[in-house]
Amino acid sequence: MSVSASIFILILLAGAGFFFGRQRSLALVSGKLATLHSLPNQYGWYVGILMLLPGILVILLWIVFSGNIIDTMVIASLPDHAGPATEQARALLLNDIHNTAAGAPHSGSSEIYIQEAAQRYSRLKSQGVNIVSALVALFAVIGGLAGFRTIRPDLRARTHVERVILILLILSSVVAIFATLGIVLSLIVESARFFARVPLAEFFFGLQWSPQTALREDQVGSSGSFGAIPLFAGTLLISFIAMCVAVPLGLMSAIYMTQYSRKNVRKVVKPLLEILAGIPTVVYGFFAALTVAPFIRESGGLLGLDVASESALAAGLVMGIMIIPLMSSLSDDALTAVPEAMRDGSLALGATRSETIKQVLIPAALPGIVGAFLLSVSRAVGETMIVVMAAGLAANLTANPLEAVTTITAQIVALLTGDQEFDSAKTLSAFALGLALFGATLLLNMLALSIVRKYRESYE
Amino acid sequence: MEKTPKMQATNVHVYYGDNHAINKVSLDVFAEDVTALIGPSGCGKSTFLRCLNRMNDSIASARVEGKITLDQQDIYDPKIDVVQLRARVGMVFQKPNPFPKSIYDNIAYGPRIHGLARNGEEMDEMVITSLQKAGLWEEVKDRLEAPGTALSGGQQQRLCIARAIAVNPEVILMDEPCSALDPIATAKIEELIEDLRGRFAIVIVTHNMQQAARVSQKTAFFHLGEVIEYGDTADIFTNPEKEKTKDYITGRYG
Ligand SMILES: Nc1ncnc2c1ncn2[C@@H]1O[C@H](COP(=O)(O)OP(=O)(O)OP(=O)(O)O)[C@@H](O)[C@H]1O
Ligand SMILES: [Mg+2]
Repeated sequence: MSVSASIFILILLAGAGFFFGRQRSLALVSGKLATLHSLPNQYGWYVGILMLLPGILVILLWIVFSGNIIDTMVIASLPDHAGPATEQARALLLNDIHNTAAGAPHSGSSEIYIQEAAQRYSRLKSQGVNIVSALVALFAVIGGLAGFRTIRPDLRARTHVERVILILLILSSVVAIFATLGIVLSLIVESARFFARVPLAEFFFGLQWSPQTALREDQVGSSGSFGAIPLFAGTLLISFIAMCVAVPLGLMSAIYMTQYSRKNVRKVVKPLLEILAGIPTVVYGFFAALTVAPFIRESGGLLGLDVASESALAAGLVMGIMIIPLMSSLSDDALTAVPEAMRDGSLALGATRSETIKQVLIPAALPGIVGAFLLSVSRAVGETMIVVMAAGLAANLTANPLEAVTTITAQIVALLTGDQEFDSAKTLSAFALGLALFGATLLLNMLALSIVRKYRESYE
Repeated sequence: MEKTPKMQATNVHVYYGDNHAINKVSLDVFAEDVTALIGPSGCGKSTFLRCLNRMNDSIASARVEGKITLDQQDIYDPKIDVVQLRARVGMVFQKPNPFPKSIYDNIAYGPRIHGLARNGEEMDEMVITSLQKAGLWEEVKDRLEAPGTALSGGQQQRLCIARAIAVNPEVILMDEPCSALDPIATAKIEELIEDLRGRFAIVIVTHNMQQAARVSQKTAFFHLGEVIEYGDTADIFTNPEKEKTKDYITGRYG
């Protein structure tokens, strides 16, 4: 018997409960539906839920707690001389036992007591599952009988069922909220640990970013400095270049699409733009690194300019292209939301199409377009793959787009890939960067959404 | 003596794709009259009205056949500049549609795009007289910089009329200009139409029989894309020739 088998059986049982509950309600009123408080199906659900809920609860409890309980029991049963002395030893030992139990080719230390412990572990586990399965079945039967017996024509099955559904819905949104909260909280906690070592002022105003800290006491020259200004500046520079590409192109394509294109052109072009939005950013990344960056470098060379092989320009341009669909589809929405009457009013006064667009449509859609812009900036600031691949890691503080710069996201990746000690300032700085990034994009998004929402209301 | 019509439609047909919305309509619009178009919903009144300043051009599926002239000149002639035409034939819509700009800029919009004012003073003058002609000046003179959308529905509609007047058109088309307004605002617009009569040729679509009777001198009754009867308003309402017209204006249509 396995947990999944017992879940399967539980569902079968509940299905039967549904069927009998339904039959029962029908039988009670001999088919006269009007005398039933709720629909027959709702009586079915009522019985089914009564059978399912306790079982699901038991299985959940088992999944959450069984591991710990069994581990404790196994450790307690070890012969005295093998009992672990420290937390770490205990974890290693348990690891050994689990591996042996799973029959994995283990690392030589197949001492006899480990073999025994592993057997005990497996036995406890299968016994536990059997008990759980039995409990689940038992509760299902009890729940089913209780439900079945309480069915009366005036039983408010609908109310009960709807309440369960409501609770389910609330639970799902709670999960999402808690996940978000958890992420933010861990960001904050880790950042706090970072700021315990590096002063806030150094992080936010320091001009020097070199997170390499000494691995050994006697190393020289790498004390680590965590001034994030070069990263902020690099992020802004690349985002700025990206917006220079995305805003005009996105806006103009939206204008063309909403005002000029014929229906069948729109039908072809719009999905094409959406394909652009569907390209994985890593593909944009190597397009930037392998195609655009060398191209810029060579053309810069022809003009006698000194272009770094990983330039802010390459990353920014490609990022801009990536953002065009977002900018254009949001602007498209904003322009489409302007009432047709506004356009007709202007045309009827003898304005040309471009006058109408410039003087009526864009001003009317401006809040929506600003919202689109802010969301695009937020996307650019948070974009990772392209900058990791094309912008480089040199924390230069420069406004020259031909030089290599680095961004917040690229640094986070660099800080957290590879082997890391999890409590060095270097690693922790990633969380502080993450928090700064999160704060910035959250602000941008909230601003954008509030603008967009306000604007929607004004045309309703 | 026979008057010459300001606008003249001869055997006009309009198709939306395969839908034959206007069928062989001939109609004269006289400069000194208010001409009312009445008829049941969907009979093509708006469609016909939009032919008169070529607003149907922006509907991809619409196709217009026949001849429509303004001062004897064919407005569907390829040599005609639509922008010029619309400056001469203005339009007011069913729902007030002020631009999201200040009251002043709403009025100044037309004169600006047509370059009618040589300087700021002339523009001010134009805005003021248009608002006065539209009977809105007293109500808004202290808040010309307020957004046009902040006015009441009736004020917005008069703003739209003022906006149309500002480019000094010869004809003003109105498509159910009062249908979104309460009776008091409606009465104001009707007064305004009475005021404007003579200075502009006015063509108005309305579902309100009393309104047609009150404001117009000529009435055309549309039915299923055809003009059933066209003549002096007084005759149409007191002594219609066609049975259908009589049924419609007495409310027995259906
Ligand atoms: N943009 C359009 N595209 C396709 N068909 C249209 C369009 N506008 C109007 N029609 C059709 O043309 C016919 C006449 O419509 P129109 O709007 O001119 O009627 P109307 O007399 O103004 O009606 P109402 O009194 O309801 O405003 C209708 O059958 C309508 O479905
Ligand atoms: Mg209409």
